[in-house]
Amino acid sequence: MSGWETVNEPLKSQPGSSSRRTVSRTVTLGRVQPQAPALRTIFCNDREANFAHRYKGNSISTTKYNIFTFLPKGLYEQFRRVANLYFLMVSILSATPYSPVHPVTNMVPLSLVLLFSLIKEAFEDWQRFQNDNAINNTLVDVLQAQGWKTLQWRKLQVGDIIRVKQDGFFPADILLLASTNADGVCYIETANLDGETNLKIRKALEKTWDYLTPEKACEFKGEVQCEQPNNSLYTFTGNLVINNQTLPLSPNQILLRVFSECLSSIVSNVVKGCSLKNTDFIVGAVIFTGHETKVMMNSMNVPSKRSTLERRLDKLILALFSTLFSMCLLGAMGSGIFIDRKYFYLGLRQNVEDQFNPSKRFLVIILTMLTLLTLYSTIIPISLYVSIETIKFIQSSQFINKDLNMYHAETNTPASARTSNLNEELGQVEYIFSDKTGTLTRNLMEFFKCSIGGEIYGTGMTEIEKGVTERKGIKVQEVQTSNDSVREKGFNFYDGRLLRGAWRNEPNHDACKEFFRCLAICHTVLPEGDESPAKIKYQAASPDEAALVLAAKNFGFFFYRRTPSMIYVRESHVERMGKTQDTSYEILNVLEFNSTRKRQSVVCRYPDGRLVLYCKGADTVIYERLGSGNDALNKATRDHLEQFGSAGLRTLCLAYRDLAPDLYESWNEKFIKAKSSLRDREKKLDEVAELIEKELILIGATAIEDKLQEGVPSCIQTLSRAGIKFWVLTGDKMETAINIAYACNLLNNEMKQFIISSETDAIREVEERGDQTEIAHFIKEDVRKQLKQSLDEASQYFCARSGPKLGLVIDGKCLTYALDSSLRIMLLTLGLNCASVVCCRVSPLQKAQVTSLVKKGAHKITLSIGDGANDVSMIQAAHIGIGISGLEGMQAVMASDFAIAQFRFLEDLLLVHGRWSYIRLCKVVMYFFYKNLAFTLTQFWFTFNTGFSGQRFYDDWFQSLYNVIFTALPVIIVGLFDKDISPPLSKKYPELYKEGIRNKFFKWRVVAVWAFFSIYQSLVFFYFISAFSSTSRDRSGKMFGLWDVSTMAFTCVVVTINLRLLMMCNSITRWHCISVGGSILVWFMFIFLYSGITTPLDRNENMYWVIYILMSTPSFYVTLLLVPVAALLVDFLYLCVQRWFFPYDYQIIQEMHKDDIHCTGPSGVVGSKQQLIADEERSNEISQLPREVSKHSGFAFDSPGYESFFASQSGKYVPPNAWDVARRASMRHKATPK
Amino acid sequence: MRFLNSGLACGCTLLLLLCCYVGIRTPKVAERIAVVEYHREGSEMPETNNDRQRRGDRESAFYLFTQQRLPACKPVLTPPWVITIYLLIGFIFVPVGLVTLRASHSVVEIEERYDIECVPETSRTDKVSYIQDDSIPKNCSLLFKVDKYMKAPIYIYYQLDNYYQNHRRYVRSRSDQQLLHGRNSRGTSTCQPVESNNNRTIVPCGLIAWSLFNDTYTFIRGKGELKVNRTNIAWKSDRDHKFGKNVYPYNFQNGTWIGGGKLNPRIPLSDQEDLIVWMRIAALPSFRKLYGRIEEDLDVGDYVNVKLMNNYNTYSFGGKKKLVLSTSNWLGGKNDFLALAYVFVGSSSLTIAIVFLLLHLYSRR
Repeated sequence: MSGWETVNEPLKSQPGSSSRRTVSRTVTLGRVQPQAPALRTIFCNDREANFAHRYKGNSISTTKYNIFTFLPKGLYEQFRRVANLYFLMVSILSATPYSPVHPVTNMVPLSLVLLFSLIKEAFEDWQRFQNDNAINNTLVDVLQAQGWKTLQWRKLQVGDIIRVKQDGFFPADILLLASTNADGVCYIETANLDGETNLKIRKALEKTWDYLTPEKACEFKGEVQCEQPNNSLYTFTGNLVINNQTLPLSPNQILLRVFSECLSSIVSNVVKGCSLKNTDFIVGAVIFTGHETKVMMNSMNVPSKRSTLERRLDKLILALFSTLFSMCLLGAMGSGIFIDRKYFYLGLRQNVEDQFNPSKRFLVIILTMLTLLTLYSTIIPISLYVSIETIKFIQSSQFINKDLNMYHAETNTPASARTSNLNEELGQVEYIFSDKTGTLTRNLMEFFKCSIGGEIYGTGMTEIEKGVTERKGIKVQEVQTSNDSVREKGFNFYDGRLLRGAWRNEPNHDACKEFFRCLAICHTVLPEGDESPAKIKYQAASPDEAALVLAAKNFGFFFYRRTPSMIYVRESHVERMGKTQDTSYEILNVLEFNSTRKRQSVVCRYPDGRLVLYCKGADTVIYERLGSGNDALNKATRDHLEQFGSAGLRTLCLAYRDLAPDLYESWNEKFIKAKSSLRDREKKLDEVAELIEKELILIGATAIEDKLQEGVPSCIQTLSRAGIKFWVLTGDKMETAINIAYACNLLNNEMKQFIISSETDAIREVEERGDQTEIAHFIKEDVRKQLKQSLDEASQYFCARSGPKLGLVIDGKCLTYALDSSLRIMLLTLGLNCASVVCCRVSPLQKAQVTSLVKKGAHKITLSIGDGANDVSMIQAAHIGIGISGLEGMQAVMASDFAIAQFRFLEDLLLVHGRWSYIRLCKVVMYFFYKNLAFTLTQFWFTFNTGFSGQRFYDDWFQSLYNVIFTALPVIIVGLFDKDISPPLSKKYPELYKEGIRNKFFKWRVVAVWAFFSIYQSLVFFYFISAFSSTSRDRSGKMFGLWDVSTMAFTCVVVTINLRLLMMCNSITRWHCISVGGSILVWFMFIFLYSGITTPLDRNENMYWVIYILMSTPSFYVTLLLVPVAALLVDFLYLCVQRWFFPYDYQIIQEMHKDDIHCTGPSGVVGSKQQLIADEERSNEISQLPREVSKHSGFAFDSPGYESFFASQSGKYVPPNAWDVARRASMRHKATPK
Repeated sequence: MRFLNSGLACGCTLLLLLCCYVGIRTPKVAERIAVVEYHREGSEMPETNNDRQRRGDRESAFYLFTQQRLPACKPVLTPPWVITIYLLIGFIFVPVGLVTLRASHSVVEIEERYDIECVPETSRTDKVSYIQDDSIPKNCSLLFKVDKYMKAPIYIYYQLDNYYQNHRRYVRSRSDQQLLHGRNSRGTSTCQPVESNNNRTIVPCGLIAWSLFNDTYTFIRGKGELKVNRTNIAWKSDRDHKFGKNVYPYNFQNGTWIGGGKLNPRIPLSDQEDLIVWMRIAALPSFRKLYGRIEEDLDVGDYVNVKLMNNYNTYSFGGKKKLVLSTSNWLGGKNDFLALAYVFVGSSSLTIAIVFLLLHLYSRR
C-alpha cells in the first residue's frame, strides 16, 4: 500500500475493488509457491476447533541441517568439490598395495579439511539456530482464560487472539480486530518490508472494534475463511464470519510478520522498523503462522555467485592436474625402463607382483602411474579451498561488517556482507550499474537557488561546484548558516536579501512578489494537517512542487488551504513588516503538467479581480512563449539557467501573463468545450492551452537541488579515477537523469555526448498513427541509424588518446530495440567506450538486460547497486549486487551480496576492502601453488634416484601434515592481515585499483614466475640435501640413512616455505611472526615427540630417534642455515629487481609514503587563509565554471520517487496525474465540510 | 602409536584452530563499545572512568583487528635495505663458508675403487659368473698410501654406487616386528619375496637382510695387522630398540637363491652390527656405510695393505664398490660442496650488493 493513497481514500471493503487494486501491486519475491486451491478456515479463539486442521506452529527454522541430516548432507556438500573428491579417490587408492604411502597420508589432510569445513558449517548453522531461537522465544501476550498471558512466539497457534503493544513486532500474520485508537485504526511502520518510511494505516472492521479488553475478546468467536498461505505480500482475500454475518476482509486488516532477517537484527538492536507505532496496543487474531506467513513464504534462495578469481583458480588447478599427470607419466615411463632382473637385490626372479615384473613392462607403467598419483597428490593443495573460505569468511564478517568507515551512524547501519564468496571480486570491478533514486539521490528536493528579475539569489554551493572549485585548488569552506536562518527539509536556501521579508528592500521587489505568488499559487499541492506554518504538511504529486510551495512559505507566502476553486495564501508582506494578510485566490483553470507540454499553468483571479495566468515550466517551452521586449532580463535569466544546470540543479522558469477579462472568457469557453469532449481530450486540452500560454512575461527561475546522497560526486569521481565506468540505469525521465548525471559529474560539458532518444518528432508522429508494427519497425530503424551515426562519430575518438571523454544517454524505448540481437554489438561497442552511460526510462527487466549485456558481452566484472525492488533483477544479474540498506526496503538488500548504508561507502568497499581482498587472495592462491609445487617436486626429484619405484621420500605423517599444519596458518594470516598501503592512501590514489581490473596479480605470467621459483627451490632442497647426505655422519662416524636425510630435507622445506611467506608480506604484524615461528616450532615439537616415542602399538621404526641424532651433529645446523638462504636468495633478488626496475604502482606509493607514520587522511592540511574565501569570491569562482558550450539548463520536473515506486510495484509506469491531487482535494472537502 | 600420533596431530590442529578462533571471536562487547565510542567521538563530555575503560577497549586488539589497524612493521625493500641485507648475507656466509671449507679440508680421506681390480684379468669379461662361482677364492688386496697424517679414529667405509637401496620394493621388504620380537611375530608378509623358505620363516626376513653386504677387509700396516674396531658401528637407537636381544637368525640364506652375506645364528640380531648398519637403508643410490674404525694414527708415508674378500655381487647391475678411509671432525666427513656453496652464496651476495650499490649511487631511480 502506498502511503497517502491509503490515508486519504476511505476504506472500501468491497472485495472486488480491493482485489483489483491490489493485484496490480503484487510483489513477489523468490519462488512462487504453488497454492492449494482450498480455503483455510480459522476458528478464532478456539484451539480445539483449529486442532483438526493441524496448522503449522509459529516456530521458524532457517537452519540447513538438523542433528541427523548434518553428517550425510554436510559430507555430500563437501564432496561436491572436485578437490575433495579427488582426495577421496587418492585416499582409496592409497589403501591399495600400489600406494607408496600409508593411507593415512592422504586421509589425514582430507579428514582435517572435512572436519574443519563441517565445524564451520555447524557453527554457522548453530548461529542460525540461535537466531531462530531468539525469534521463537520472543514474548507476546496471548489471550488465555480471560486474561493476557505472556507466551513465546513459537507457542502461538493459528486462531489465537493476541495483543501487540506499541513498538512491538507482529509475531505472525494477524487479522486486526481492535485498536486503542479511535475508529479501530492502527499505524504500522513497514520500512524494511517495502522500503517506505512513512507510517501505514491499518483499520479493523467496524464489527470487531470492541474486542479490546480480555473480557470482551474472550467472547469473540469469529471464523476466518481465507486463501491458503501464499507469498504475495500485498494481497489478501478472505471473509470474517461473525454472528452469521459474512464480512469481507482486505489487506487493510492484515498485519504482516516481518522478515526474519530483520528480526534477527532487531533482536540485536541493529535495525528498527516493522512495528506498531502511535498506538497503545492492538488486538488481533493469528491467521498464518511460522513458515506460512507471507514473509517467510517470500524468503528466497539468493543465487550463489562464484567469484571470477575462483573460476580462474579452477584453471590453475586444472593446470596442476595436468602437471601431475605428466609428472606421473614421466616417472612411470622411467620405471618401465628401469625395472630389470639385473638388480638381483630387488628379488625379481620369481613370484614378482605385477608392478615390478620386468616381463610386463606396460603393466609396470600403468601401475606405477597409480603409485605416483598417490605419491604426488600433495601437488593439489587440498587445504586451499578451506583456507580461502576461512579467509573470506573472516574478511567479510569481521572486516567488512565491522568497518567503522562504512558504518552509518545516523541510521545505525553497518555494512553487511551477505555472502563471503565475492570479497575479491570487489577488487576487480570495472563497470558499476547504479540506480538513481535512493542510491545516488536522497529523493529529497530542496529549494536551493533562484533567479528573480535577472538577479541570482541563494548562496549555497552544490557538491559538483565544490568539486570543481576544489579541483581548481581552492579549498571550500562550508558556510556556517547561522542558527536563526530558516532551514527545513526541502528548503536549503540562504540569502539575507530575500529571507525574513528583506526582499522588500530589493530593487526588484515587485518581481519578487510576483515570483513568490507564482510559487504559492501555481501548483497542485494539497496542504495537510494544522494550518500553521510549522505544522503543515504538503502532499504533492512530486517533491519538486512541494519544495516550491515550501519555499513560498518561507518567503512569506504561506499557502495553507485549498478548496476546489480557491487557494488561500497568508501573505506576510505587504506594506508593513510583521503583518500578515490572508488572501484568497480563485483558481479558474489548471492547465496541467505533462511531459509533452513541460509546463503547468494556473489561471487565477485576485480578490481585486485581476486575472493572471501563472506558468512554470521548462526553459525551452517558456522562452518560446515569452512576449517581446525585456531581452536583457531574458538573456540574464538564460545565463543563470545554464549556470544552475551545470551545477546539477533542476530548473524551472516562472512566467505570468495578465489577462483581459474578455480575452479570458472567450478562451474559457474553448477550454470547457475541450474539457468535455469525449475524443482526444488530452490533445484538445493541449491545443487550447497553447492559445493562452503566450506572450508571457518572465519572472525568474527556480533551482531545486535533487539532493544527492552524501559524498556521491566525490565518490564517483574517485571511482572513475580508479578506472571504473558508471552506467546509471533509472526509471526517470531523460531530463532528470541527465541532470543527475551532471550533478554526479558523470556527464559534463567537456564530454562528447551521444543522446539516443525516442522523443523525436518523427517517432512521435509515427506513434500517433498507432500501428504497433510500424512503430516498432520505425523506431528500430531509427535507433539503428542513431547508433551507427554515434558509433562512427565515436570511433574517431577511440584511438585518439587525448580526445574528449564520451558519454552516452539512451532511453528505455530505444534500449528495447538496441538490445535486440542485431544492434546489441553496436550498443556494446559504443557503451564500453564511454566513460559513463545513462539509461533512462528503463524497466527493471531492462536494467538486468543491460547488466548482463556488459557482463556476458564484455567479460568484465560488473557491480550493480540499488535500493529498491525494481533493482532486484539488476542486482542479481551482475557479478556483484549491492543493496543500499538502512532507509529503504529490504528487497534489494535481500537479493544483494553486500549491503551498505550509503553510496559513498562504495569507495571503501571497493578501493579498500575489495582491493585488499583481491591482493590478499591472489597472494594466498599463489603461495599455495608455490608451496605445494616446491614440496612435491622434491619428491619428484627423489623419484629419479629411486629407480622410479615411487618410494616416498618423506614420512607419511610429514606429508600428511605438511599442508594442514606446518604451512597452514601463516598463509591465512597473510590472507587476513596483509596491507600494502593504508586505506587513506588507497583512496587517495584510486588509480591503484586498476591493477585489480587488469588482474595483474593473477596472470599466467605470475604463475609462471612462482612455478619457476618452486622448481628452483625444490632443486636446491634436493641437491643440497643430497650433497649433505653423501658424507654427513654423526660424531661416531655413522652415516645417515634415508629417513635421516628426509627429515633434514623436510626441516629445510618447512623453514624455507614459511620464511618465503614473510618475504611476500607487505606488512608484518606480530601475528605473522607468531604464526610463522609457531609453524616452524610446531614442526620441531612434532618431530621431537614423533621420533622420541615408541609404543608397542606403533613403533615408527623409521623415525625413531632421528631428530636427536641429527640435531647433535653440527652439519645439521650448517645445512639448515645454508639451504633456506640459498633457496630464497634468487627469490629475493627477483623481488628486489622487480621493485627496483619494474615496480607495481602500489610499490611506488609505498615508497612515496614509507616515512608516514600515521596517514591521517588524504585531505591534508590547507592553509587557513584560503578558508576565508568570501562569498563574493566564491560566486566569482562559480561564475567561472565551464559552461561556454552549455546547452544544458537543468530543466527537470517530475516525481521520481513515486514514479519509480509505482513502477516497481505494478511493473509498469504510472504517471502521477496532477488532477488527481486537485480532485482528491475537492473530495476531501466534500467529505468533511467545515 | 599411529593412533597416538594421529591424536597428537589432530590435537595440534585443533589447538591452532582454536587459537585463531579465540583470537577472532572475542566478545561482542568490544565491538559494541567501539561503535558507541565512535558515536561519542564528537561529543565533549567529561571523561569518566568508564570512558577511559572504553578508550582502552578501543585500543584493544580486537578493535584494531576489525578495523585492520593492527600495529605492523612495513618493510619496504628500498635500495639501502636491499644492499644492507645482501651485505649482511655476504658477511655471514663468506666466513662461515671459509671455516667450513677449512674443516672440510682438514678431513683426510682415502678412497679406492676395487670392484674391477679384484676380478682377475681372465674373468673380467664375465664378472657375474666369477662372483657367483663359490669355488673361486675371492681374496684380493689393495695398497693404500697415506699422504697426510691421519688421526685416530680412522673410519672405514664401504661405498656402493648405483645401488638402489631406496627402491620401493626393497625398502618395504623387511619386518620390523620380526626383527624385534623374533620368529613368531606376525607381520612378515611385507618381507616378500624372501619371507620363508621351505615353509619356515626366515629370520631376518626380507630383501634387505637377504642382500646383506658381505665383503670383509683386514688392514695390515707394515707387518702388523691394524686393529679394526667393529663394535659400535650401528646406531645405538637401532640396536636397543629395533633389533631384538633374543632374536637369533634362523633359516637365513638357506635357500637355493642366495643374495648376500650370512649371519651367525648364535649371535642375537641386536649384536649383528653389520646387519643393523646395512638395514638402515641409504637415501640415495650412491652411499657409504660404516665398516669399522682403526683406532691407531696413520703417519704420512705409511702404506696400508688391505686384504679383502670380494664376495658381494655388484657386477650384475654395474655397481661400483669402493673402500674409504676417512678421519672425522666436527663437520663430519669431507664435504666441499656445502662449504663451496656457502662461499658462493656469500660472494654472490656481496657482488649483488656492490652492483646494487653502484646502481644506487650512479643511477638513482
